[in-house]
Amino acid sequence: MTDILQILILGLALGGVIALMGSGLSLVFGVMRIVNLAHPSLIICGAYVSYWAFKLWGLDPIATLPIAALIMAAIGVLLYRLMFESQAKSARYSEMTVLLTFALAMIVEGFLGAAFTNTQRVTSPDYATDAFFIGSLFIPKGQFYAGVVSLAIIGALTLFLNYSRLGYAIRATTQNREAAELLGVNVNLISMVAFAIGIGLAGAAGSLVSFVFSFFPAKQWEWIAMLMSVVVLGGMGSVLGTVVASLLLSVVAAFVGTWVGATWSTMTFFLALFVILLIRPQGLFGEKPELA
Amino acid sequence: MAANLQQADASSVLEARRIHNQKLARQHDQTRATWFPVAVLGVLLALPLLQLTGNYNYLLHLVLFTASYAVMASGWNIIGGFAGYISLGHAVFFAIGGYFSGVLLARYGISSLLTAPLAGLVAAVCGYLIGLITLKVRGPSFIISSIALLMIARILFDHWEFIGGANGLSLPVTDLPVETAKLPYYYAFVLMAAFTVWATYRIKHSKFGLGLRALSKDEVKAESAGINTRFYKVLAFALSAFFVGMAGAVWGEYLTYLRPNIFLIILVSANLVLMCILGGKGTIAGPVVGAILIVAFNEIFVATLGASEINIMATGFVMVLGLMFFPNGVIGTLARKGKLPRVLNWD
Repeated sequence: MTDILQILILGLALGGVIALMGSGLSLVFGVMRIVNLAHPSLIICGAYVSYWAFKLWGLDPIATLPIAALIMAAIGVLLYRLMFESQAKSARYSEMTVLLTFALAMIVEGFLGAAFTNTQRVTSPDYATDAFFIGSLFIPKGQFYAGVVSLAIIGALTLFLNYSRLGYAIRATTQNREAAELLGVNVNLISMVAFAIGIGLAGAAGSLVSFVFSFFPAKQWEWIAMLMSVVVLGGMGSVLGTVVASLLLSVVAAFVGTWVGATWSTMTFFLALFVILLIRPQGLFGEKPELA
Repeated sequence: MAANLQQADASSVLEARRIHNQKLARQHDQTRATWFPVAVLGVLLALPLLQLTGNYNYLLHLVLFTASYAVMASGWNIIGGFAGYISLGHAVFFAIGGYFSGVLLARYGISSLLTAPLAGLVAAVCGYLIGLITLKVRGPSFIISSIALLMIARILFDHWEFIGGANGLSLPVTDLPVETAKLPYYYAFVLMAAFTVWATYRIKHSKFGLGLRALSKDEVKAESAGINTRFYKVLAFALSAFFVGMAGAVWGEYLTYLRPNIFLIILVSANLVLMCILGGKGTIAGPVVGAILIVAFNEIFVATLGASEINIMATGFVMVLGLMFFPNGVIGTLARKGKLPRVLNWD
């Protein structure tokens, strides 16, 4: 029984981080219909920001989280201007943007690999290896803090989306782009803001990832499939769905990892993606996607 | 009586249309520069004669490498170009073909050159079964599922001890002298490339190809026009897997070892997509032109910069620039401007 509870706690803590990693992806998809395959590589960028801040100046990764988020948001604005703004009129928009972000992921991976080499990195603040003990249960402090910070950021994001004028505009654009434009929403600006927020969330997630997982530039491919399965299960574009799905899947993955074998825990995500596409392509909370 | 008359009318109309179509096809054939691809093939088949005058193994390797990518990119073109389903998981079929023939070679000593068509068939069967699942969704969801497929395959191949797991499988090295060592693979790839180009041409101009192009534009309309879209696209997926698997089989023996981190990497899939986009998606000559461009480009980069990370970055840059400024590729852009030289119009 304590075993099960223990696995559940570990799974939930990781799930919080994965939820933050996926929420930016989901937001960008919702507003702009871009499946951002470069998202994990941008998360790794954020992780490098915190890694070097910790390594060079001994700054705590959680403290440098806003900095990483801001830097990445600025990069997001730049990327939007350079790559995606001109695509809005393209006839094969969704396909084009997927391929563009895929290419972007390769550029970022190549750049990071050339700059910092493909060795495993991890920031190690004191709490990363420490744990709380409650009876016979233990909660690793690093994962716990990361999970709590993640859920706090997602909570703030939800409040922002639901109760601010900009949030209204973003949600309106998600629901119906044309109608929002008719009602006077500057759709292009909103897309840029949403893209910047999405990439900023990637940066924030990167700071947390830097001490929860070890990372290296080529790790993004594993994360792409993992985050995609979370976002697809939650329903593309639904931030709430992403949170529920990532908690669910990472708990399942934690059980699989303990009972079946560690290598099969990542497999949970990939197989889940397949099964979801097979039986419920629109995910838990999504609208019906473009079906074949 | 009236019905008979109508039937007679209908058949005569059909007959007239058939004759007209034949006339058009003949005219088209006369303006077509069929001699060009045949001449290229002739030159390539005669190229190994250079070996009599010195060692041109590097040149042969480049042609062989380009031909192998031409086979795979043309195969990818069937699903990605004709049917419009962008798959980033085709490295899986490359690996399936390579491992199938590789295991046969390692355990029973049967040359991959002989088992390559069989490897292609195995890949096609796998492709058919996978396609039944993943082709239910289109657009971004399909692309994601193809990446997931690659990740699943990577984990499976990494942990399957029978085929060597992550350490891979080494295959016997050919005992031919160095001058002729590359020749069997060279001819295999060149002939396979010729066959693939011919096959994609036939597919594009068949009823099946027409159906694929129809469903790439609008699947619902294609379905209501009486096309069995599900069967068509799954078959297209299987066919494209066939060519990629076949190339994988010969490539495995040529390389003399199989390892998941050579065959099952996303860069292989990305290269196929890149070649088709740069050359021109959905055209016959496009993937071949793309393969030539990418291999030349890769060689230049490796020769000048070396590092593999830079190579990944450069590939990404070329892809972005190509997508943003020439989304129709070399062949497509030229054709649209009416400036495509006749020798490159293979459609």
